[in-house]
Amino acid sequence: MSSKIMVEANKLTKHFERKIALSSLSFSIQQGELVALIGPSGAGKTTLLNSIAGLVPLTSGELLIDGQPLSAYKKGKVFAKKMGVIRQQFDLIGPLAVIHNVLAGKLSDWGMIKSLISLLIPQEKTLAIQALERVGLNGKAYEITSNLSGGEQQRVAMARLMVQNPEIILADEPVASLDPARADDILAMLTNIVKEKKQTLITSLHSVDYAKKYFTRIISMRNGEVFFDLPTEEVTDDLLAELYHLKNGER
Amino acid sequence: MKAGNVFRLHNRLILSLILIAVFVWSLFSIKWNADLVHSGGIPTLLQIVEGLFHPDLSADVLYLGFKSAWITLAYAVAGMFLAIIYALIVGTLASGVLTSNKATRILSKVIFRGILGFTRSIHELIWAWLFVAAVGLSPYAAIFALAIPYGGILGRIFADMLNDVSEEPIKALKTAGANKWQTLIYGYIPIIWADMISYTMYRFECAIRSSAIMSFIGLGGLGYQIQLSLQDLKYDRVWAFVFFLIVLVVFVDSWSNLVRKRITERKKRGVMNTGWNSVIFAFFLILASWIYIKLGENAQFIELLSHKNIEAAKRFFSGLIGLQSDQPAFLDADSWSDALKLTLETLEMSMMAIGFATIAAFLTVVPAVRSIANGTLTGSSKWYNWILYGMVRIGYIFSRSVPELVWAMMIIFIFKPGLLPGAIALALHNFGILGKLWAEVIEDMDARPIRNLAMAGASQIEIFFYGILPTVLPRFLTYILYRWEVIMRTTIVVGFVGAGGLGMDFKLAMSFFNYTQITLLLLCYMILVIIADFASESTRKAVK
Repeated sequence: MSSKIMVEANKLTKHFERKIALSSLSFSIQQGELVALIGPSGAGKTTLLNSIAGLVPLTSGELLIDGQPLSAYKKGKVFAKKMGVIRQQFDLIGPLAVIHNVLAGKLSDWGMIKSLISLLIPQEKTLAIQALERVGLNGKAYEITSNLSGGEQQRVAMARLMVQNPEIILADEPVASLDPARADDILAMLTNIVKEKKQTLITSLHSVDYAKKYFTRIISMRNGEVFFDLPTEEVTDDLLAELYHLKNGER
Repeated sequence: MKAGNVFRLHNRLILSLILIAVFVWSLFSIKWNADLVHSGGIPTLLQIVEGLFHPDLSADVLYLGFKSAWITLAYAVAGMFLAIIYALIVGTLASGVLTSNKATRILSKVIFRGILGFTRSIHELIWAWLFVAAVGLSPYAAIFALAIPYGGILGRIFADMLNDVSEEPIKALKTAGANKWQTLIYGYIPIIWADMISYTMYRFECAIRSSAIMSFIGLGGLGYQIQLSLQDLKYDRVWAFVFFLIVLVVFVDSWSNLVRKRITERKKRGVMNTGWNSVIFAFFLILASWIYIKLGENAQFIELLSHKNIEAAKRFFSGLIGLQSDQPAFLDADSWSDALKLTLETLEMSMMAIGFATIAAFLTVVPAVRSIANGTLTGSSKWYNWILYGMVRIGYIFSRSVPELVWAMMIIFIFKPGLLPGAIALALHNFGILGKLWAEVIEDMDARPIRNLAMAGASQIEIFFYGILPTVLPRFLTYILYRWEVIMRTTIVVGFVGAGGLGMDFKLAMSFFNYTQITLLLLCYMILVIIADFASESTRKAVK
């Protein structure tokens, strides 16, 4: 494994009016790592992912993506090659055909004219079809996306990420609204693709079991702070019990 | 891909292409050359624009403005008051919830929905004209003319709401031993109450504009002052009164927004305390309006039913059905073919109008979206976004506050009479409405897929075509068709001031007391309205 540092966080802090969402977080993530973010609801997992994605401005602290500060990525098109995001299945344009949603991953490369033509005659079709086959959606390219099931839509989102092919993938609760069998399926597929392409994956998860099963490193958060940051095999049941332990008066 | 699949994928695209083709076809109905404009048209346009920036705000204009604004408001309030009563009674009957078996339900639905349909298919200005012709100039002519079509629209919506009430609570009331009337008062009405108020408030804003144009047949108010000033070529005064109208519309609009917002908030939170101020204010407005009409204008309801008026009305309506004519126009083949030609022209005018309005709204809608101006939709915001937002939104308010008829009266000073000035006037009024409705559709969109596209590196234009347009296109098309229906009804009105089509001929027939011709034109007009309703309803279903 190369030792290139993809994400370096230094004392990240984020305040929402009076609430502290992130308080002085520091960690660094190397290329090829599969990181699971766990912790109770409201611990700041989503806020952390959103700030790495540049969607939420930080109150203070420094964030380096592939050695450069986040603010250096002015152009969305360049940033899109660095980082891609997948969430629950709300990321797709429902009324569009599946193939257009997959090819949307190419918009950062395409000029305006090519993107518009593609809406009528899909461009770089083989690329999209291959990605769809890889996620097991053969023959669904011309279905209307909103007619697919939740699990299928999540696969479309993955196919889009394959086409976009960023170096870092951020996944925010990617399996939250799926049943266990489908969730297993999606996570296995996602981690396999990431390993194949030597990408870096940061995922927030509700389920500790999935985190242990598919990820190499677990960062746990509580009240906006890092509670523990360990390789998966060093995470013990005691630590987990303490992480989710309810304080008195907390419900 | 199978053929059916292709249609399913592209049905919205195909419909859009058909609509564009129809629009282009309508453009061919005009000979495009310099002859369209009056010889003094351009200088007049400049004078009108100059008046816009230097409105006459002298004391007597202001006094007249306030007085006419009050008359306009009072007529609108009184008209809406009667419309609500009419809508509540006929709407309830049209919903069939009071009937006890299937046969009477269907009968009651058909009869009363038919009545509502007939009363709303005729424009309020035509009702006003018919009333004035029948009973002479009286505030009641304006009030009834407003109440009848507005009651028709409200009644139909009330009936639809009553029919959409879910079965369970009603069944529960029935098993508890409630009779028909009790289910209505304890079940249906409380369930739809909030929606009824919302919709009525929205209609009230439209009623203000309608009340303003009542003046054109000689019943006081803002429209009357605008008309007088236009005849004197005093454009600075015209704009002063137009500004009064805009302020009045904006006032009613913000009140109605406030009420609607309170209602939705109350639904969410389950609180019951707010809204009393509005109730008291509404009560006060209704009372003041009626007192003014009774005392200030000295309108006598009994006088309406005087022997003289009844005779005049009898003469008028017997004239309409052809009793005074040996050769009624509506039994004459030549008159029919002439009228049908005018009908086709009117149809073309409406298509041109909605086409122009659509183009203008399409070009301006993106900056008019609040969530784009503040960057929550796409995740990026530029300093000039807010300036553009403000400018476009002010343009929209301006465009929709001024009734079509007022736009038409100004435009007729620039263009020669014909279809084009009518189409432009209709488009000027409707582009603001369309733009506002569209902007709200985009504001209500789920922002997550859009932000994800932005994250995937899509540019603003790519985001529009990949993310926004596919999501909002069905609603956009629905609103285009819905506005086209409304425009269809209004074509006849812009014709009154010489903007071509059926309306122009209608006015001539009125002036020459050619009653049977009036009947013929009204028949053609109703055919058009029914066709428009049917076409837009069925296309809307196809897009869904």
